[in-house]
Amino acid sequence: MGRLFQELKTDFKLTILWSIAGLGLLVLLLETSAPWLVNWPDSFQLPLTSWVGDALGAGLETVKPLARAFSGLMSYPMRWTNMLFVSAPWSLTLGIVTALAWYVGGWRLALLSLVGLGFVLGSGYWIKGMNTLALVSVSVPLALLLGLAFGILAHKVQPIKSALQAVLDIMQTIPTFAYLTPLLLLFGFGPVVGLIASAIYATPPMARNVILGLERVDPEIKDAAIMSGATAFQRLFFVELPAAKSQIMVGVNQCLMASLSMVIIAAVIGGFDDIGWEVLLTMRKAQFGQSLLAGLVIVVFAILIDRISAALSQERNEHNWRIAFFIAAAGILVSLIGLGPLSNPEDLHLFEPVAAAVDARLGVFTAENGASLDAVKNSIVFYAMLPLRIGLDGAVLVFTWGFQWTTAHSVWFFAIALVLALGLVSRGAFKAAALLIIVSIVLETGISELPWIFVLSLSAGLGWSAGGRALALLIVALLLSILIAGLWERALLSLYLSGISVFTCAVLGSAIGLLCVVSPMAWKIVRPLCDMLQTIPLFVFLIPVLMFFQIGEFSAFIAICAYAIVPMIRYTQHGLSNTPPELLEAAVMSGASDWQIMRDLRIPYAVPTLLLGLNQTILYAFAMLVIAALIGTTGLGQSIYLALGKADVGLGVSAGAAMAILALIADRIVQGFAQERKKALGL
Amino acid sequence: MQPRNNPRLMTTSAQNTITCRNLWQVFGEKAEQRLADALSRSNDPNDVSQSLLSHNLIPAVRNVSFDVKQGELFVIMGLSGSGKSTLIRCLSRLVEVTSGQISIEGEDILAASKKRMTELRRSTLGMVFQHFGLFPHMSVIDNVAFPLKVSGLSKRERHKHVLPIIHMVGLEGRKHAFPRELSGGQRQRVGIARSLAGDCSVWFLDEPFSALDPLIRRQLQDEFLEVRRKFNKTIIFITHDITEALKLADRIAIMRDGEIVQIGTPAEIVLSPVNAYVREFSKDVATGRHATVASVMQKGVQGDLESAPRVQSTMSIDAALAMSSAHLAPLAVEDDTGQLIGTVSPKDLADAALRDAS
Repeated sequence: MGRLFQELKTDFKLTILWSIAGLGLLVLLLETSAPWLVNWPDSFQLPLTSWVGDALGAGLETVKPLARAFSGLMSYPMRWTNMLFVSAPWSLTLGIVTALAWYVGGWRLALLSLVGLGFVLGSGYWIKGMNTLALVSVSVPLALLLGLAFGILAHKVQPIKSALQAVLDIMQTIPTFAYLTPLLLLFGFGPVVGLIASAIYATPPMARNVILGLERVDPEIKDAAIMSGATAFQRLFFVELPAAKSQIMVGVNQCLMASLSMVIIAAVIGGFDDIGWEVLLTMRKAQFGQSLLAGLVIVVFAILIDRISAALSQERNEHNWRIAFFIAAAGILVSLIGLGPLSNPEDLHLFEPVAAAVDARLGVFTAENGASLDAVKNSIVFYAMLPLRIGLDGAVLVFTWGFQWTTAHSVWFFAIALVLALGLVSRGAFKAAALLIIVSIVLETGISELPWIFVLSLSAGLGWSAGGRALALLIVALLLSILIAGLWERALLSLYLSGISVFTCAVLGSAIGLLCVVSPMAWKIVRPLCDMLQTIPLFVFLIPVLMFFQIGEFSAFIAICAYAIVPMIRYTQHGLSNTPPELLEAAVMSGASDWQIMRDLRIPYAVPTLLLGLNQTILYAFAMLVIAALIGTTGLGQSIYLALGKADVGLGVSAGAAMAILALIADRIVQGFAQERKKALGL
Repeated sequence: MQPRNNPRLMTTSAQNTITCRNLWQVFGEKAEQRLADALSRSNDPNDVSQSLLSHNLIPAVRNVSFDVKQGELFVIMGLSGSGKSTLIRCLSRLVEVTSGQISIEGEDILAASKKRMTELRRSTLGMVFQHFGLFPHMSVIDNVAFPLKVSGLSKRERHKHVLPIIHMVGLEGRKHAFPRELSGGQRQRVGIARSLAGDCSVWFLDEPFSALDPLIRRQLQDEFLEVRRKFNKTIIFITHDITEALKLADRIAIMRDGEIVQIGTPAEIVLSPVNAYVREFSKDVATGRHATVASVMQKGVQGDLESAPRVQSTMSIDAALAMSSAHLAPLAVEDDTGQLIGTVSPKDLADAALRDAS
């Protein structure tokens, strides 16, 4: 005990940790006498949401004419491309895309295009698909130009770089549904909203890659350009941009994928008869076979766009253009001759029997295995999710656990936790002891019912450890704004769902990543799966989950995990297998066994990479959280989605901002720890 | 730190500690099979190499054989790409040898199991790396004590054991520093200390001083020779620097394109290079500094030598030359236009030249 106080005096981070643990226990003791410590008093809330709504509403009204004019202007290119895509005979499109695929990627890619587009044709979703692609093809050039301009600006004008980076952060972290509401008000119902939203969402990846590419240009090349007498303009266009080409092409690829993903999400506002709307519609009608079919069309588009643009970005290994020409000519010829009964691709429903069969099978499957599926679902919900959400004191009921949790249980629970903590203290594990107390407080109370002052101090403490006082103050200010706006309960619910998803992803993902490092066989299987999961637009994840687990929080949890686990696996695998060879040799020559090398070298060396993976997983989870509101989550995601339905700008934007704040805080804390570890490793 | 009392080492001390026979290291697909095919067709290493190259395989080490005696300092010298780094990685089994035999202290290490290799590395083999290979997340003392940690010693034991080594390399004031806080020279001292922590009897050094400034390099070379005198280790030392090789080595092996071109003492390398390649190396080296009077003298005592000035047979040629020139008459010195401006005594010239050379 004496040593603990000694350490507390010298180790500031330990002091923070113990203060938080102590504060948490104190607040729980005072729960009855000072309830304002637990629940933020209503009298301290301000109608921020409606203020935001009014202010934005007024602001939007003034720029509305401008926006509507822009909307009118954009409707021309959109109508033209739409006409081009929809009215072009499918054989022509098929021929040209396959020819392009041949030219950039050889016969494999050509075959992939042919089979993929053939599937789209056969599914009867050709026209709907072309509507989607037409939207993408207008939004992408917009996003590319914006991204390029932002990127060059940020690189050339250093003072505004950090401000621009912050804007890019916000553009990416604000949930996609949140800015659909103000856009709706501005531009009115219609495809223009999807176009703008998609351009907003797809600009940041392009801009980031342009910045990264320009920063990585060898300074000697730039100096050589200067010494050759090139002007700033010439340097940029003749030297720097070409030298950064491969990174910029990565940006183009990501921009395309983001745009497609967002165009499909924007379908929730409806009105342009595209493939995303079809998925939503069939999902609502519980026609899962049909829904899966439409989802697969999206996946086909995603894969084709991804592979072809990725092949474009690689150094061209020339494929015979004559064959490409021949393929395109064949497409044109077929279109000229006429397609006869096949001229209307909407009439084709080759896969309808398959969809029906899937529905029938699913019916049989759920009838047979429904009980065991429910058993899995219920045991996870009752024994893991619910206790974390409302705490052991609320979740332990006679009905599920066989007994009723009472105050006496709480007293015993904390008594045991304290005894264990004292045991840890006596063994010198001071940090672990404080963490044990904090975890037991969270378990007993439940994340959604944690006292606000405890959450505030815990976040601030983490922020201080990770990034110093400035970060701690920022976190307190941001969280206070959520408290004042009266969005706190919803924010905690979102925190809870993303928290358990991130925790599950971190544990499972790092375990899978570790397995992939130990066994190259496993990586051979996992890697294409990861590629696949990352190419599929968010939206499509919901379909299979819904098929088996129906609407509800559990389905949302599964969908979030399926999407957010990928970066954790990738970063773990990458981090653990990229230890510098000389360090490995040194460890081997010191006589370390494989396991000792993993424990003492590979894992410590990979910690910054693992933390970055965790960071990505958190951001992915937040992105999916909002989409999962479609299949039933509570919290901020639900509010954002509801606001969209009611065109409530204030609620939509405020809840969106609250969500972005949560993501931002988690991002900064994890980044801070990663930076610290990197510095400690001298990287 | 006393030299280890290894009974097996005593009994084998007269023999070779390391023997290496017909070693081949080939990189590429199906290397082992292709090499076996090529070896069955021809005995000439050049033919075998040609055959491998035509299959897009890279023979990095070609038919290398040598012996190292107990306590000997054997330097392997070659330019980058000559295969010397691959060779030392074969000896330490950091890469798996394609074909050949290596025995260390009488044990066929190519037949050793993975577990046995780990044991050997903990007890018998030590290695120093060109870029130090320090673990960035460990302090100096933890880096040095790492081989003991993995052999299962407690923290107190291993710290007690490595403190004298850290003291010996002159880092006791910095034992809690991290690698990033050290200078290049200090880092390599840590690398050396770590390789000594396991009390190895066979010591591999892979270009240990190449990444250092010339001044620090010379300092560490001298300290290395000091350490060498203190411990009775068999040493394989890799370098691309002929001066370093000549300064340190008992014997030198010169490698080119994966083959050993010549093995010999420093004097043999300098005075009787086997071919133009080796001669090219020693061209930049002041022969007189590395060869002794013994290597150029004519044997036999003819005539009256009693009154002649004397030099020792072990004296370097430079030193002997300076001494002999002291007996010549003074020279006249002229300026650019041919005008006589003074005299110079050969003794003064010799003194100045020797001062530069030492």
